[in-house]
Amino acid sequence: MSMLHRPSDETLAAFAAGQLDEGLAVVVACHIEADQESRGRLRELQAVQGALLDAAEPVAMASGPSPAAIAARPEAASLATVPTPEGMPKVLRPYGLGPWRPIGIRIAMRRVEVPGADARVFMLRAGPGISLPHHKHTGFEWTTILAGAYEHEYGRYAAGDFDEADAEHDHTPRVDPVEGCTCIVAMTGSVQLQGWLGRLLQPLVRF
Amino acid sequence: MVPALALTVDGMRNAGAVAQGVRFIVLFDPNSLIAAIARSGDRAAFAELFDHFAPRVKGLLMRGGAPAELAEEVAQETLLAVWRKAALFDPAKASASTWIATIARNLRIDIARRETRSRLSQVYEILDEEAPEQPDAMLSGAERDARVRAAMSHLSSDQYRVVELAFIEGFSHQDVADRLAIPLGTVKSRLRLALSHLRGRLEDLR
Repeated sequence: MSMLHRPSDETLAAFAAGQLDEGLAVVVACHIEADQESRGRLRELQAVQGALLDAAEPVAMASGPSPAAIAARPEAASLATVPTPEGMPKVLRPYGLGPWRPIGIRIAMRRVEVPGADARVFMLRAGPGISLPHHKHTGFEWTTILAGAYEHEYGRYAAGDFDEADAEHDHTPRVDPVEGCTCIVAMTGSVQLQGWLGRLLQPLVRF
Repeated sequence: MVPALALTVDGMRNAGAVAQGVRFIVLFDPNSLIAAIARSGDRAAFAELFDHFAPRVKGLLMRGGAPAELAEEVAQETLLAVWRKAALFDPAKASASTWIATIARNLRIDIARRETRSRLSQVYEILDEEAPEQPDAMLSGAERDARVRAAMSHLSSDQYRVVELAFIEGFSHQDVADRLAIPLGTVKSRLRLALSHLRGRLEDLR
């Protein structure tokens, strides 16, 4: 799989540092899982953190428990995770998925439940050849393509590609005429959808 | 000048009587300490790792503005996770410092976002288990770390400071701007420049 669109260095650094909103982070993680090069860059950025740890000025621990007492602490049961359905990114395993709901002709959406996220996260599945609703938004709209492809003025986005749009963008993706498209989206701020499809989608995006 | 001899930790332990006046530089070797914990639950090895890393994890978090109690809790939990997960440590994937830094990041997220039931640390763990990179990028953790450190040494001090702050919890770009008393746009461009510089150096070193 050859990726054409990847997260910016700043986005990947914020992801590596654990500073992204969890909803945005989940969409970035779906891309990283699919892309070897981004996995390599993530490891490099994690090595930056390792170097910063080595360079950190030590601060003496309070006279708390000894290492031996800490090692003897009982282990809590680990959380069970539900296996993800076939073809879904593994990084979605910790999250609940809502049912697919049709929101128009040959277009469906399912919610991804990310507790504590400011961004709304959902998957969108669109049939071949249709146009996704023309829209503008005030915050971020980050997308990772899970299957198929879409195309807009910034290029073609196929499985694994990451589309990092902000308020500057105003676009109308066209779904691949053969494969259709399934993607995962995280949105912050509010979105103004336009056209008949937009009016259908509006109440669902603002869940 | 005092003669300095470098010894491995095992060598030091077996050295027995040490001549007066000879200063030994003990090479701190976290990989073998972690291996000793994995192999036999070696508590002395754990105490040594704890004494080295816990104050550094605490220091790193406090440098990022975390209160002492939180930094202390994350440091303790991080070393506890090192004790429990020692068998999972793979030096081919990351150096010990990098592995410990990522554990600290995950625990800091878990603890700071406890009330929101964050699952982000599980996402990082899943990504970490993902298949290896393409063969030409198959470097050992130590090699990758050495390259990253070499690349970091070429950053200007301004760039280094921005990278440092941007990587520490609680620092949004706006916070970094406030702390360094420079405009937000400058932070963004400095960080972008520093990261692309780092990336360029890493590609040269490949």
